[in-house]
Amino acid sequence: MRFLIPATFLALAAVFVLDARRGVALPIPPAAGVSKADLFLGSPRVALTDPPTIQNGSFRQTCSECHALFPSPEVPRDPLLQHTHIALDHGLNDRCYNCHARENRDVLVLHAGETIGFERVPELCAQCHGTVFRDWQDGIHGRTTGSWVTGSASLRRLKCTECHDPHSPAYPRIALLPGPNTLRMGPQESEPHHGVPENPLEKWKAPHGAASGQPSEKH
Amino acid sequence: MKEYGRFLFRCFRVSFAGDWRYQAWMTFLTVVALLGLNAYARQFVHGLGVTGMSDQVSWGLYIANFTFLVGMAAAAVMLVIPVYIYKNQELHDLVIFGELLAVAAIFMCLAFVTVDLGRPDRFMHLLLRFNFPISMLTWDVIVLNGYLVLNLHICGYLVYCAYRRRAPSKRFYIPFVFTAIVWAVSIHTVTAFLYVGLGGRPFWNAAIIAPRFLASAFAGGPAFLLVTLWVVDRYTDYVVPPKAFKTLKNIVTVALIINMFLLVCEVFTEFYTDSAHGVSARYLFFGLHGKHALVPWIWSAIGLNTGALILLVTPLSRRHGLLNLACLMLIVGIWIEKGMGLIVPAFIPSPLGELVEYSPTLDETLVCLGIWAFGLGVYTVLVRITIPVLAGRLTIDRLYHPDYTHKVPVTFEHPSDTAGSHS
Amino acid sequence: MDANLPTPAPSRRSFLRSAVTVASGMSAAVAALSPLKELESSDIPSLDEFLQKHYLELGPGEMQAALERIRNEVKKRWDVDAVVRDVRPKEGVEFVYALNLSRCIGCRRCVHACVAENNQSRSPEIQYIRVLEMPRGTIDIERGNHHYDRPTVPDALHYYMPVQCHQCANPPCTKVCPVEATWTESDGITVIDYDWCIGCRYCEAACPYWARRFNFVEPEIPAEDLNPDMSYLSNRPRAKGVMEKCTFCLHRTREGKMPACLEACPVGARKFGNILDPESEVAKILREKRVFVLKEDVGTLPRFFYYFDERYPRPADEEAAALAGEDGK
Repeated sequence: MRFLIPATFLALAAVFVLDARRGVALPIPPAAGVSKADLFLGSPRVALTDPPTIQNGSFRQTCSECHALFPSPEVPRDPLLQHTHIALDHGLNDRCYNCHARENRDVLVLHAGETIGFERVPELCAQCHGTVFRDWQDGIHGRTTGSWVTGSASLRRLKCTECHDPHSPAYPRIALLPGPNTLRMGPQESEPHHGVPENPLEKWKAPHGAASGQPSEKH
Repeated sequence: MKEYGRFLFRCFRVSFAGDWRYQAWMTFLTVVALLGLNAYARQFVHGLGVTGMSDQVSWGLYIANFTFLVGMAAAAVMLVIPVYIYKNQELHDLVIFGELLAVAAIFMCLAFVTVDLGRPDRFMHLLLRFNFPISMLTWDVIVLNGYLVLNLHICGYLVYCAYRRRAPSKRFYIPFVFTAIVWAVSIHTVTAFLYVGLGGRPFWNAAIIAPRFLASAFAGGPAFLLVTLWVVDRYTDYVVPPKAFKTLKNIVTVALIINMFLLVCEVFTEFYTDSAHGVSARYLFFGLHGKHALVPWIWSAIGLNTGALILLVTPLSRRHGLLNLACLMLIVGIWIEKGMGLIVPAFIPSPLGELVEYSPTLDETLVCLGIWAFGLGVYTVLVRITIPVLAGRLTIDRLYHPDYTHKVPVTFEHPSDTAGSHS
Repeated sequence: MDANLPTPAPSRRSFLRSAVTVASGMSAAVAALSPLKELESSDIPSLDEFLQKHYLELGPGEMQAALERIRNEVKKRWDVDAVVRDVRPKEGVEFVYALNLSRCIGCRRCVHACVAENNQSRSPEIQYIRVLEMPRGTIDIERGNHHYDRPTVPDALHYYMPVQCHQCANPPCTKVCPVEATWTESDGITVIDYDWCIGCRYCEAACPYWARRFNFVEPEIPAEDLNPDMSYLSNRPRAKGVMEKCTFCLHRTREGKMPACLEACPVGARKFGNILDPESEVAKILREKRVFVLKEDVGTLPRFFYYFDERYPRPADEEAAALAGEDGK
């Protein structure tokens, strides 16, 4: 009886020593494993330079080398051999000669008839997309890379065709990278919950144009 | 000075002496404290990841306990007001019990803050670059440590004077006592301001937090003292005057009524307005999007507090058994309210609206229990030393004779009683 | 009575008993500390690190010694030769970040580029940037979905809002730090001295944008993913128990380069520069676009501005079809 207290302490010491072997299991989630290759799209497209060339098997040819061989039709036909991959999805701008000079495929043509090289393509786009061009000139639209210092040699502004495919300019959907998986996050749903405070656009979306009279749902 | 050394040595020896109940209690506390130490050693090695905290809920059980205990420490000094301001001499000795509780509670607070730090080895950075007065944490460091020193001085001086069988000189403790009254309010207000000043946490950014802190503290602290004094009255030869219980019960009842009223105020503001600022309150009381871990806790707390209030205002609590039950109920209820009901919901949802819940891990719970055991052990030892000294059984000119059979009503001699006494 | 009368001398038996009790108690206490034997030498700070002064008080020699220490620690742990510098702010520069919500497609490349550049822990994962998928019709970030998972982005019914540290001009985090381990530098970046932080996480509680991260465990970075171009205040590897956050890649931007998140953005939604230069992109954005900040009512004065261009970035016909038909694709 009188040794009950020392016995308790010694038993406790034994428990500690044995327990120390078990280590600690921390619920650390596995790494997402995103490689550097997934990260940088760099310049999404390689834009054409002057003179514009195309890879034809092992030959590199300028556009006019082919197009000089046959006259350009009034209304361009479906392409037979080259340019089969081009999908034209540029909204109202569905006439090839709006941009391409009919007589000389090594240059582009502006509305007034003046021809310009492919390096000056922003001026061509600006004819219709004036507001975007104004933003692009200020650096608000588009990508700037290399440096933020105004006038720095490393500062490079990407031109229109370095991001946008001129024939189908809408930026394509891309795959996304893994979402957050932080310590002790618990189960999280990838879809927002029903009853998230109402989005005004959802709330007032009227079926068949009738005024919406339903009360807001309590969440 | 040598005499003081001998006094400390004798206190040390007395703290190991006691009947089987005392030995069992202290052994139990030591075992729990060592379990906590072991869990903390694991946390020290592996980092705070062994707790249930995350970047979304970055403060948890440690800070919850810290908040609750600052309140206990503050309220322990509430007894000082009836005694020194209203000159209620019968309760004189109880002031010491209250201040000893404050000492133990502050030790626990400091321990909880230390175990919550990611780099406790860098605590001396606080001394080297102190962001005072902008950071409220620096205010908290100052007021908590100052309060500790204040109470250690008051208790130490009074107890040592009783040991030396000489009347304490008023100027060495009266000004400190009155300072302690004001300081007690300040420690809890400063702790409340830690949370209140954060604009990014709308659940905390409300003026009602500080008054609510004080109200709940003044209910919880005296309730704990009530239970302690009952234990002292029952198991030692020290007689606690019934007036003490009555005064404490009145303080607890009034404070609890105020606390419940402030709860109603908070609930109305959050739920009637029904704005996005009330989303944390909605999570706490009703759950949010299928996540409702805290809902049973808060409703239990409200139930416990309400039950305790009913017991206290009705004649039911005239019996000590039910009075103790009421006190324990409201201590638990206030602990939940201040801890899980205040600290954790402010983090859920996160400032970006993410819902990540929190539940403490085993190691975290063991550390908390260990610190509680340590604090209760400190308090038990301090009371164990104080009672014989006040009863005149442990004094400079006497052998220590534990005498548990003969109940002797003893009161500490008030300085004004012993005319012409000198140190 | 004699004032010096001691307490009765203990008997041998009771002395032995108490000695046994004390000895067993001490052994239990020592055994309780047995997990400490798993502490590795890298866990214990070296004396130099322990005695190191605050960043703002380091003299040039002391700074070089600290950088050398960090270099050695990186070499020892990952066997990588790192270049650790102390990059100071430039005169006449105040950084501002702008984000075009009409362009962001929510691909999260900025998130992972930041992780790669700033040597953040991979497991557990620390990411400074959080991309929110926002329903249309609201700018309340608490309505965003963090965990969206689709085959491709963007989704027709949402727009995307990346949130990271806004380097506020009136930051609540620097107000609350008790040891001044975090402060705002002259170019506007709020920085942390990782060797001074005590890990109290008050700043994490204070931030209204959830921008700060804490190392709850020792961070894990595979050696092949380590970025050896480091600086003291930004991307050198951190230890467990300290805070970290986005620093606008100050080791790059203070030398004129763009932050990693901007370079990774495939659509050019991110804009960065010196607001004090009237010709910079960000100055023009603030002049010409309708910019707003998040949680403006909290009064933090962020340096991170969001704006919409003329419309949501979706092809017109697909958008109309999605909104007119069933919701929730």
